[in-house]
Amino acid sequence: MIPAPVKHKFFTPGVFILIILALNGLAFLAVRFVSGIGAVTNLDNVTPWGLWIGVDVAAGVALAAGGFTSAALGHVMHREEYHVIVRPALLTAMLGYTFVAFGVFVDIGRFYYIWHPLIMWNGNSALFEVGICVMIYLTVLYIEFMPIVTERFIGRVNLPDFISFLNKPIDRALRYIDSRLSITMFIFIIAGVVLSTLHQSSLGTLMVIAGQKMHPLWQTPILPLLFLLSAIAVGFPMVIFESLFASRSFKMKPEMHVLSKLGGMIAPIIGIYLAFKIGDMFIRETFKYITLFDTPSIMFIAEMGLLVIAFVMFISNRVTHSPLGLFIASALVIAGVLLNRINNFIVAYNPYYNPVKYIPSFGEISVTVGCIALLVLVYRVVVMIFPVISQDKEDIIKKI
Amino acid sequence: MKKLIYISIAVLIIVILVISGSILSAKNPVPVEKNNAVQEKVMQDIKTGTGKNDKKSENLKCTTCHEGDYPTKNDPLLRACPREHMIRDFKYMDKGPDEVVIDYMKENYEGVVFSHKLHSEMSAISTGCTGCHHYNTAAPILNCSECHDKNRKREDVSVPDLKAAFHRQCMTCHKQWSGDNGCNNQCHVRKGEKQIERKTSKGSSHPQLKEPGKLVYETNYDAGKIVTFFHDEHNKLFRIDCSSCHKKDNCVKCHDKTKQQGTDGKLKVQKSLDEHHQPCMNCHKINNCDKCHKNSEMAPFNHARSTGFALKSYHSSLTCARCHGNQMPVKKLDRNCNSCHKNFTTGFNHGVTGLTLSEVHKDMDCESCHAGKDFSKPPVCSSCHDDKSYPSNSPGNKGRK
Amino acid sequence: MKNLNRRDFFKSAAAGVSMVTIGAASVKGADKRLSEDRVGVLVDTDVCVGCRHCEWACKTAHDLPTADLDNYSDKAVFKEYRRPDAGALTVVNEFDNEKNPALPVHLKIQCMHCERPACVSACIVGAFAKREDGSVVWDSDKCIGCRYCMVACPFQIPTYDYDKAIQPMIRKCDFCSDRRDKGQLPACVSICPNEALVFGKRVDLIQIAKSRIKRKSDVYVNHIYGENEVGGTSWMYIASKNFDKLKMPPLALNPAPGISETIQHGIFAYFVPPVTLYALLGLMMWVTKRRKSEKNEKLQENNEEKGVKS
Repeated sequence: MIPAPVKHKFFTPGVFILIILALNGLAFLAVRFVSGIGAVTNLDNVTPWGLWIGVDVAAGVALAAGGFTSAALGHVMHREEYHVIVRPALLTAMLGYTFVAFGVFVDIGRFYYIWHPLIMWNGNSALFEVGICVMIYLTVLYIEFMPIVTERFIGRVNLPDFISFLNKPIDRALRYIDSRLSITMFIFIIAGVVLSTLHQSSLGTLMVIAGQKMHPLWQTPILPLLFLLSAIAVGFPMVIFESLFASRSFKMKPEMHVLSKLGGMIAPIIGIYLAFKIGDMFIRETFKYITLFDTPSIMFIAEMGLLVIAFVMFISNRVTHSPLGLFIASALVIAGVLLNRINNFIVAYNPYYNPVKYIPSFGEISVTVGCIALLVLVYRVVVMIFPVISQDKEDIIKKI
Repeated sequence: MKKLIYISIAVLIIVILVISGSILSAKNPVPVEKNNAVQEKVMQDIKTGTGKNDKKSENLKCTTCHEGDYPTKNDPLLRACPREHMIRDFKYMDKGPDEVVIDYMKENYEGVVFSHKLHSEMSAISTGCTGCHHYNTAAPILNCSECHDKNRKREDVSVPDLKAAFHRQCMTCHKQWSGDNGCNNQCHVRKGEKQIERKTSKGSSHPQLKEPGKLVYETNYDAGKIVTFFHDEHNKLFRIDCSSCHKKDNCVKCHDKTKQQGTDGKLKVQKSLDEHHQPCMNCHKINNCDKCHKNSEMAPFNHARSTGFALKSYHSSLTCARCHGNQMPVKKLDRNCNSCHKNFTTGFNHGVTGLTLSEVHKDMDCESCHAGKDFSKPPVCSSCHDDKSYPSNSPGNKGRK
Repeated sequence: MKNLNRRDFFKSAAAGVSMVTIGAASVKGADKRLSEDRVGVLVDTDVCVGCRHCEWACKTAHDLPTADLDNYSDKAVFKEYRRPDAGALTVVNEFDNEKNPALPVHLKIQCMHCERPACVSACIVGAFAKREDGSVVWDSDKCIGCRYCMVACPFQIPTYDYDKAIQPMIRKCDFCSDRRDKGQLPACVSICPNEALVFGKRVDLIQIAKSRIKRKSDVYVNHIYGENEVGGTSWMYIASKNFDKLKMPPLALNPAPGISETIQHGIFAYFVPPVTLYALLGLMMWVTKRRKSEKNEKLQENNEEKGVKS
């Protein structure tokens, strides 16, 4: 099992659908950049944050958590057997955070000032911390990805004729980078884990300041802890989901020996998260809101239900050893956490003056879906160029 | 040995005395300190004017009444001054001006013409002069600007500035009256613009208010649906001040534009049961509903029917207060004449009763005719005369003198 | 020697304590920077007649498009409840008065200029600032348009230009900081015919509000809205109706950014927790690496032994 570029034809019917979705999203994006946020979204002065922050940014950050959890497992704890999942997870995180950054770029009104937080600091702001951490972590992720680039191109730099004289210096530069990075990589790996812990939790702190504007089912001082725990909980399921999805898409054998082991670790993490969440609910006595059966209560039940079912599934050995079981259970966790982020940022936000409840517009949904489609496409391109996904040697030889 | 014991006892006593003395002396200063603290507090209260004594006006400062810094007993340097609710009489009421022109903003606006006479007449059924002249002196009326600063930006903002003082006087009523807040169409005219025609010119006065006689209310109190209120009796007969019932009335009560447009449903004031009964219950402190709630209209007040004492001749022309006093509820009287007529016996001119006593009877004691001083019963002649009886034989000439 | 050690210990302990106290002071610094004489406005809704001249004055002072002042006497706008938006930093709304229908209650809304503003705490680039005199102002040169201030504000005051793609503005009442720098009063306070907006020191205003409530206890509700809400605000209200019936949010008394800042400072207490986490992870990495290499060596030895045997 070694990582290698995937050999598979790029265009499939699914890919065409993704391209159409991406183009549709880009069309609405163009409108947003020409006529302002109001032209595309249903946002107003009552609801300043909507789908883009809730899904593109908050859920995006959570779902890219596979990067730091698998890095912690593979590199920090040196569990070599998991190395096969580290590279795909790293790529997911890298692309995920790139799109988070893009999501922020789209959502902020003065996108051309996105660099302001670098020089204008406000230490009291949770958003500032998230912003800075995401910026640094994104850089760290690109650095962590560098060895994959060097591995691919060292000795194989082959530029077109008219700049072919650059082949040698570039090759030398790549070798230099590779040698430096192999010594210092541990710094970045640890930094990546620390930064993730920080901003995953601070993402939860974001909504604490909204205070009474947020539904009591979600508003709690331990929001940062809940966000961190749920991010850790969704990390491995995301890796499993992706791996199973990729192997199916590229017609490869799923790496069940690794994924089953990984699946075995998920139940306790979800368990801890659920314990905190339910404990918090009882301490603050918010369970009385659950029985109201209004929108928030139904959404809360849905969010908890998904995770509880996933928790039960992951406990069973049968599930963790069957690809389908793993796939469904992982999908449930992902859906649960995604719903949790949507709930926290959209459903729970219910200010005192709120004449019309916010529902995302078609344009907003298009942009979000388009971004996700684009992300999947880029992922597909990258794994076909760079050695990311581990494959059996025979498989590689066979395909070549 | 014994000596030693005595000495030790003596020493013990001394020690105890010293210790207790020191404890006591240590305790003693505390009340002294307290006194000091109290004194200081009082001094501070006097300085800042936040003491207990001036609960009514907590912002009372020396300068509220005294003009100079060093008032003395002989020369108190009193302001011609605003002491709230101290003086209620307006000595020069009839000398009030017909019109007042307010022109503090001469540069931009024409002066605002205020029809003083009209307003003062109208105020008679509501707040009276004090409604506007809330601080007043026995001396001539003060200018508003005496207390109300012309600058909005100022140190002490507890009292509204002059602009606000004027506007508050006018707008609370005018806003209700017209439902309008425009500046130009009511009072202010910009310099150079054409003067708007004013309804109020000098000498005009409010049409005489017509007083309702009898008001019959239909209530939803089942045991007695009909309440009859004799407005004229209350006003004319009982001489009750208009303002004792019409406390917060203003122009809107009659001049209500929304009512004129026939949308009076909106303006129905929601009053609680207490608020509804309050005007009556202020004086009529009774607990039985039947007193007012009847099944048919009540007859007007009749002294003879209500009290059994018919008011004849002299009594009929008296004000109620003359006998019953000013206090409410009214003083109850018995039918004994000398309950009111205290100095009946000496120097009573019997002529006021319609019977001038003859020379013979004039100097007799009252009891000679009125047995037991019971003046409600006819006099008796039989104590002196065997063959005479009242009224066929009278002890003097009929007719007043 | 022993003495010296002890003295050193005390020195370092003292240094530690002083550092902690400095730290604590800097955390609470936000309160202390405020002037004792900081200003505010008391809105007396019992005096307000709803002439909306403040709306006109505000727009004029902030160069926003507005109709002629004479048009503001139109009462039709009161039919709908209005909120401040990008084109109006303050609006007046009308509410029924059960006690006297002819005298409806009017209430002006604008930025409350909190004592502990959530927007200042939240803003990612520190574009909001609480000035010493009490006002909360926004700096267009810093703002990135993320709208987190709008999420944070307990009064839902900051508004945003949703229709502008380039240089959209966050707009809210700035307490006329430009006018006041020139020694003038805020535009709304200056124009108010009845001085329903009383401008003065915040401490004085609370006293005035209390004495007015006491003097007309049959009129006013015994509540100064803004005296204690979310840690106090520079603008305060007294009214003849409960404030939740005037659509003012019923708010808790703890400062809006309180919990959020505590968490934030807890996570980032002088970077101790992140650095500790970093060190711990490094240690773990080192330990597991050594264990792994030992294992590998043993494996190799075993293999070698096996190799020898075979």
